[in-house]
Amino acid sequence: MDKLLDDQIVEQIGEAFAELKEPVQILLFGSHKNCEYCAEVRQLLEEVSATHDKVGVTVYDLQADKELAAQYLVDKAPTILIAAKDGAQISNLGVQFAGIPSGHEFSTLINDVMMVSSRDSGLSAEVREFLKSLNQPLLLQVFVTPT
Amino acid sequence: MAMENPAMIRAEGVEATEFQDLASQFHVQGVPQTVINSGAGMVVGAVPEQNLMAAIQRALTN
Repeated sequence: MDKLLDDQIVEQIGEAFAELKEPVQILLFGSHKNCEYCAEVRQLLEEVSATHDKVGVTVYDLQADKELAAQYLVDKAPTILIAAKDGAQISNLGVQFAGIPSGHEFSTLINDVMMVSSRDSGLSAEVREFLKSLNQPLLLQVFVTPT
Repeated sequence: MAMENPAMIRAEGVEATEFQDLASQFHVQGVPQTVINSGAGMVVGAVPEQNLMAAIQRALTN
């Protein structure tokens, strides 16, 4: 397969990633069945990861790695988790994307990597306090389209 | 938001054309649309964080 990211995009990612602080590990859950875009997503994430040594990527399979998928509450492929990495410790921060992050959603992916790397949500003190006080599960699903 | 309390919160972007069944299950008509706890609440469009927080509070007390 040809490269998905052209030189100009790679340069832009490089400029953004120059600001990276802490390491980030991207976990991809693909599937060998009924996954139209899994190969593209894998290649896309590997090309992004190759632009900076603080960004790693690990590829799993929804069926073959079903225990890990269950642990991370992943139920569809492709699912991309953008996790924090500290030493050998991978911490799932609940930041994830289902589907191929193309078009505008590619910027969202890069921004998510930047945010996780900074370990700072950038939210206001009031909202942070509310979120930290939650003692019941909260699932926020933001439906988007690539354009 | 998930980052602030990952033990409780998950924030998932969902590509609506790839996961059409899920999108139609939650009657997603336009994007972005945020679905809170699988339909307990809903926010259409991109809104300030305060508005989203208010919608979450309403959904959790329902």
